[in-house]
Amino acid sequence: MDMVWVKNMEPIIKVENLTYAYPTSKDFVLKNISFTVNKGEVLAVIGPNGAGKSTLLKALNGLVPHFYGGKYGGRVVVSGFEVLNTPISKMSTKVGFVFQDPEDQISGLALTVWEEVAFGLMMLGYPREEIDKRVREAIDYVGLTGLEKRSPFELSGGQMQRLAIATVLALRPEVIVMDEPTAQLDPLGKYEVLSVIEKLAESGSTIVLAEHEIEEVVYFADKMLLLDKGEAVAYGDTRKVVTMVEELKRRGVDPPSVTELTSLLKEKTGVDVALPVTLEEAVKIYSELLR
Amino acid sequence: MSVGVSLLKKTTIEAETFVQRLDGRVKFLYFLWATIIVYIFFDPLLNLIFLAVTMALAVYAKCWKPIALTILIIVVPWILFAVPILALPLGFPWNKTIIGYINILGKDYPVYLEGLGWGVTWPLRIAVAISTALLFFLTTNQAKLVATMFKMKFPFKLIYMVIATFQFIPLLASEANTIMQAQIARGLRTDVGFVQKIKNYLAVVIPLTLSALNKVQIRAIALESRGFSAPVKKTLLYEASFTKLDYAFLMTMLLVTVFLAWVYVYIGFSPLAHLPWIWSG
Amino acid sequence: MSEIIRVEDVWFRYEGADFWALKGVSLTIKRGELLAIIGQNGGGKTTLAKNLNGLLKPTKGRVLVDGLDTKTIPTHEIVKRVGYVFQNPSHQIFESTVWKEVAYGPINLGLSPEEVKQRVEWALSEVGLQGYEQYNPYDLDYGKMKLLTVASVLAMKPQVLILDEPTTGQDHAGRHLLSNLSKRLNREGFTVVIITHDMRFVAETVNRVVLVSNGEILMDGSTREVLNAFDVLKKAAIKPPQIVQLASELRKKGIDINALTIEEALQEILKHYKG
Repeated sequence: MDMVWVKNMEPIIKVENLTYAYPTSKDFVLKNISFTVNKGEVLAVIGPNGAGKSTLLKALNGLVPHFYGGKYGGRVVVSGFEVLNTPISKMSTKVGFVFQDPEDQISGLALTVWEEVAFGLMMLGYPREEIDKRVREAIDYVGLTGLEKRSPFELSGGQMQRLAIATVLALRPEVIVMDEPTAQLDPLGKYEVLSVIEKLAESGSTIVLAEHEIEEVVYFADKMLLLDKGEAVAYGDTRKVVTMVEELKRRGVDPPSVTELTSLLKEKTGVDVALPVTLEEAVKIYSELLR
Repeated sequence: MSVGVSLLKKTTIEAETFVQRLDGRVKFLYFLWATIIVYIFFDPLLNLIFLAVTMALAVYAKCWKPIALTILIIVVPWILFAVPILALPLGFPWNKTIIGYINILGKDYPVYLEGLGWGVTWPLRIAVAISTALLFFLTTNQAKLVATMFKMKFPFKLIYMVIATFQFIPLLASEANTIMQAQIARGLRTDVGFVQKIKNYLAVVIPLTLSALNKVQIRAIALESRGFSAPVKKTLLYEASFTKLDYAFLMTMLLVTVFLAWVYVYIGFSPLAHLPWIWSG
Repeated sequence: MSEIIRVEDVWFRYEGADFWALKGVSLTIKRGELLAIIGQNGGGKTTLAKNLNGLLKPTKGRVLVDGLDTKTIPTHEIVKRVGYVFQNPSHQIFESTVWKEVAYGPINLGLSPEEVKQRVEWALSEVGLQGYEQYNPYDLDYGKMKLLTVASVLAMKPQVLILDEPTTGQDHAGRHLLSNLSKRLNREGFTVVIITHDMRFVAETVNRVVLVSNGEILMDGSTREVLNAFDVLKKAAIKPPQIVQLASELRKKGIDINALTIEEALQEILKHYKG
């Protein structure tokens, strides 16, 4: 009998009818959102600015509602913990959060890259030997070996963001949440960070990330959630969502260029081809079509 | 191994003198001790001695430049401003003793001892406080500082706020520079009168403050997400403990205190300059 | 004179730095051009851009703006001619209403209250923020704040408009908006220089691309030339937009397609498909 690797099908994140308003917001920022994420899956959250992507991500580690307050309805369960009833510090052992601006995540308490990665473990009172081991692993994983003694402020944008990922990895969370991690980076930085994310995805990490770089994300996202004005407009397999060209454009989201191109071609000529989601697929389709 | 990052600079300071090796608590005590002593005494020359000793330590520890700069910016203008106003007959109420005359625009004006003394002593007291405090911050690396304050039973969040403030001063300084450029690009001019200079100042300070507040908030969120508020005992990377060096320094301070107490009782509160008493001095 | 900015063999070093941020850069910008300056962070593109409006002065060499040497003419004269919109809106915004924020520039220019009013109204309508005059800038979403900063520099009616990383932090709709705004302003007569590393934005917006890497200009040519120079782009660690890559791959397979944007690619493919 052949052995087949199957991703563990138990949902590690369950969001049921999540509805939320910040104390100062006039309208609900999230309205009745439901979805699940299985262990080892990568969910990409897409949508225009102001759709509620950040807020949704923050609802996964407890920042919403515990840090912000506000009005909260529905249920979010991550790794067996119901977020509403669990303090952020406890959630932080299960959910690692990487923010958009690399510099804003530097704690300000650590002298060196090494100490920065150790910071979370220090906050949670881990013993020294365990800290040493995990910090070493995390720094090597993200490719910052050799930079341990530098000040975090001396790093480039891409390096700083990888440092942020390392600090999260050191805590060995079950879920990694990333809020537009490449938005503030230059192309090289984007490449560095996306490579680490891809590596994490391939090694079976559970990741939820909000990103605008849709052309890159399709390579490793299993599922996609399209948000607009606080509502879940589309949810499902990446291929299914990203090929809903009209829906995406209506919500102000560009699908990958090759997908949009082919969709327009189909409109104009009625040709029967599948919509490609990556460059490689498009090359294949067009080289056959245009011979 | 490098000494690590000092608080007012982003990059490492390569210095390993005994000043850096002193325990943070000792240096903090030095700051408190020196400030209190120069307050008890009313003597600009004594203040200068303290200042000189502190600066000598700073020179040895290779961190004298920022201290000298701060003193230059804050204290020297103060003295230059205060002395003429107080020492000349412009209304300082305790002026009694004339020590000489100064000729301004053809007329002779009396110079009063009380005003002169006040105008010199107070700024120098501040100079001692600033220099000893800066010496503490510039020669104590952050991790040791955290450990120090933790041992002194400061609440952790307070410790963080103090350290983070210093860590971010260079960041804010570079932001201020960018903001200044952005406003210049919109026609802000530096060759203007006083009133306009205030408006210019606001055009930089307001965005800077808002930006700083925003950064603080985002950082607080990031820290929370990393267990900052976990109600467990934090593991610290450094243990603060006293060495022979610290005891030697403390002993020196104790001996000097005894000596100064004797001076106070037998010579008076103004042993070197012999200034008369002013109730607020 | 059709030239508005001329950069002559400029070398630039920041104070206290031991390396040259710009090494012998020469560049001419004609009136009415719409170009992009691209390159990695730290490569010199922002340094170059800030030398174009007098915020930074060349250490060696010179920059002429409208015939004026930026080293000898006071900065406030240069910024009148070359407007610079900074990347981060919160680095500029300090007034309590949108109206006052946009009025800051014209007031600094010493214009009469009548003219200031005209300029503010014009600038706000150019970017599409009419109706928002009394809003507090911080109540606006990020995209509108960005438009506000563009309006506040536009209100000074500079001849050249430099936009520093306008698309960072924007969503797709925001990028389209800025692309269209840049093109429209260019049609109206503004010379527009955009510093960016969004290659799709470059392909859809500008006619000319200057690639800056390690303080030097690696390439200066039409958008089509530069975005197709894959080996040069690779040296600067930049990836061309997906459509350009697609066209290149198809050309390798013998299908003659040359396109920068989705629309162009569609036209080219339709030709091949029908023909």
